[in-house]
Amino acid sequence: MKLTWKIWFLIIVLFFSVLSIFNLSALFQKGVLITSVDSNSSAFEQGLRQGQIIIGIDGKPIESLDDFSKAFHGKYSSELNESIKTIITTKQSEIILFSKDAPKITVSEIHKTNIKTGLDLSGGSRALVQAQDKELTSGEIDDLVAVTRNRFNVYGISDIKVLPVSDLSGNHFMLIEIAGATPKDLENLISEQGKFEAKIRNKSVFIGGKKDITSVCRNDATCAGIETCQDSGNGYFCNFRFSVYLSESAAGKHAEITKDLEIDKTNSEYLSEKLDLYLDDKLVDSLFISKDLKGRVTTQIQISGSGAGQTRDDAYNSAKQNMNKLQTILITGSLPYKLEIVKLDTISPLLGKDFSKSILYAGIVALLSVSIIIFIRYKKIRSSIFLLITSISEVIIILGVASFIKWDLDLLSIAGILATIGTGIDQQIIILDEAKQTKFLSIKERMKRAFTIVLGAYFTGLVSLIPLYWAGAGLLKGFAITTIIGITAGVLITRPAFADIVKRIEE
Amino acid sequence: MTRVRIPTGAFYKMENQENKEKIQETKKEESQTTDKNITHKKTFGHFHDKYYKFLLLIPISFLIFSFIYISIFYSNHNDFFRKDISLTGGTSATIYGEFNVNDLKQELSGKLEDVNVREIYDIVTKEQKAVIIETKTSGEETKKVLENYLGYELNDNNSSFEFSGSALSQSFYRQLLLAIFFAFVLMAIVVFILFRTFIPSSAVIISAFADILMTLVSVNLLGIRVSNAGIVAFLMLIGYSVDTDILLTNRVLKRSGEDSLNKRIFGAFKTGMTMTVAALVAVVSALIVVKSFSAVLSQIFTIISIGLVFDIFNTWVTNVSILKWYLERKQKEKRE
Repeated sequence: MKLTWKIWFLIIVLFFSVLSIFNLSALFQKGVLITSVDSNSSAFEQGLRQGQIIIGIDGKPIESLDDFSKAFHGKYSSELNESIKTIITTKQSEIILFSKDAPKITVSEIHKTNIKTGLDLSGGSRALVQAQDKELTSGEIDDLVAVTRNRFNVYGISDIKVLPVSDLSGNHFMLIEIAGATPKDLENLISEQGKFEAKIRNKSVFIGGKKDITSVCRNDATCAGIETCQDSGNGYFCNFRFSVYLSESAAGKHAEITKDLEIDKTNSEYLSEKLDLYLDDKLVDSLFISKDLKGRVTTQIQISGSGAGQTRDDAYNSAKQNMNKLQTILITGSLPYKLEIVKLDTISPLLGKDFSKSILYAGIVALLSVSIIIFIRYKKIRSSIFLLITSISEVIIILGVASFIKWDLDLLSIAGILATIGTGIDQQIIILDEAKQTKFLSIKERMKRAFTIVLGAYFTGLVSLIPLYWAGAGLLKGFAITTIIGITAGVLITRPAFADIVKRIEE
Repeated sequence: MTRVRIPTGAFYKMENQENKEKIQETKKEESQTTDKNITHKKTFGHFHDKYYKFLLLIPISFLIFSFIYISIFYSNHNDFFRKDISLTGGTSATIYGEFNVNDLKQELSGKLEDVNVREIYDIVTKEQKAVIIETKTSGEETKKVLENYLGYELNDNNSSFEFSGSALSQSFYRQLLLAIFFAFVLMAIVVFILFRTFIPSSAVIISAFADILMTLVSVNLLGIRVSNAGIVAFLMLIGYSVDTDILLTNRVLKRSGEDSLNKRIFGAFKTGMTMTVAALVAVVSALIVVKSFSAVLSQIFTIISIGLVFDIFNTWVTNVSILKWYLERKQKEKRE
């Protein structure tokens, strides 16, 4: 059979879809993937990081999770009270650990594909957060999102998404998604804004909230911005500064504490103690205190800092980033509303595998039963097989695009894929039947007719999906996305190719 | 039978208004085949010619019943269907392990509001994997009650919790209804653009509407509590039900002068039935597989299968009758 350009096009798209689905570098890689490393552990200090691949422990090759747990089995028993040596070989390096406990890392199998499943299949937690009794503007939501991101960083929770979302009724939410295990005190963590405290010598100077910090200057060029950028000979650095307004009482406290401080001997511009910034009782930053602030009651203090980079732009952006980070820390606890969790899902990863398996069975059973119907109706093995191949290639294209745009496939996305198979087969039946019909028209003309019907069906299907994209804070848009990808790929790629195949068969 | 044979390619080039008659002749000769099948078709054709207007009474009475039923349902429940907790707000807890569903329900019904208990099992071994407890009570409260009853801590190694606040769920619900409404309107606009004639386009839209309404009535009669995924299924139904109607209208409306009206309808029927039956078989077989496992997917598939059955009825009775009536009247007007 001669391959037309439309069929070639399908083959090429399929090829790229497969490339996008499979993680080529990991396909033949043996070992286990590190999914998390406790940031306070010796493993972290020695350089083990999330995303690295362990290929050996104590000289033994590690090829599976089983090997990994066997390697540590019985090695660290509680009776022994001495440090034990462990050699961990990763793809990049060899790390030697001495500790009393097993290294605080979690691992998983290496992902052979780029297909990501949603929370309802892979487990994890998801929360939608709103302000209590207050409609937040999108600007306020952005602040909340920034503050929350900072806090999660402090807690060392890494595989997390915090996003502002809005819905059809114009409500704004903060959406938090955490893949994998659910943090223990998640509810408290997201239902509160967090606690900010600035201390000098472990004495509290001011805390987050309007009582102490009346405002933090942001987005106002007169009191916040990046000032000078300089060439340091080895790249650039830029300085930023912004004002923070304190209440009288906080300013008084500040004067009271700084009064007794001495001027730093090594750097005479500053005082000997620093202003320590704490987020949820964890130190996140320390700032030098200028010597002229010593003992002075001032309600306006200025915070400055810098950012460096290879180019002027890099330095500018880095300074801006550092400034934003400090600003968000300072507004933590000052947001003038209480938070309310309006939706909280914590989903165990336990059933996910069984679930995916049953969905795969459902897909296979559906395709097989359809092919039986098609064969009964047309009694042509070749057309039926091509119809089946076309449908399967549609699924491959959807998965390829989903992997490419990093879309997490949740249950509704999968329902969307199944819906696409359905409409796809329907449209192929139209093509097959038009090919058989009215023999006095050329096959080309017949295919043209088939496509007017197919396009009509495509557009009605497409427009009916669009409203779903926004409804329900986007939690249901997975269905719309996979279906739109599927039917569009169908009309543009697979259906034309199928029509050409049918043409060849008919001729 | 003699046949005028002309090479298709050459014929195609000749095809224009003048040649339409010639096509008719060719066709006539072809249709003179003394095949039993054809005579059957013909008798059915005669029957249909005579009674198709009366056939329309069936969908009309169905529609009237549906309207009355939904109005009564609405006045009783203050809503179009029974909503599950994803639309009213509440908690769905999945607890892994084997439990007696009835005991659990009895034990919890006093402590939790509006409890519903379901099980998840392996389709092959029939082994129970988990129970799903749905209640209007909040997530934290439900967790406490369940932990008290079970006597152990629930964490993400033995359970999943999904909680939605009632204000949020109700807002989601309103938006989903709005989404369906917009989807339907957009679909109607596309249909009007496609066919540009009022009655045939309306027939397509009426059939799609009847489909959704009848499915909704069936869902209520079956006592199904609709989830947000269920509403998505209704949305899918818009697309599925319009497909065959577009096929029918396109074949019948845009190809006058090639075949007789009945023949065009029957041709469309053959294709359309293959489409719907294939979809129905796929959906039902998928439903059987996922039924034991996923409430979300099984509700979607249940609603679509019901809708597809009504689609057969509404396309090949409702839509066909309106379309035929319209075309025959137009022909009559032409003759006069």
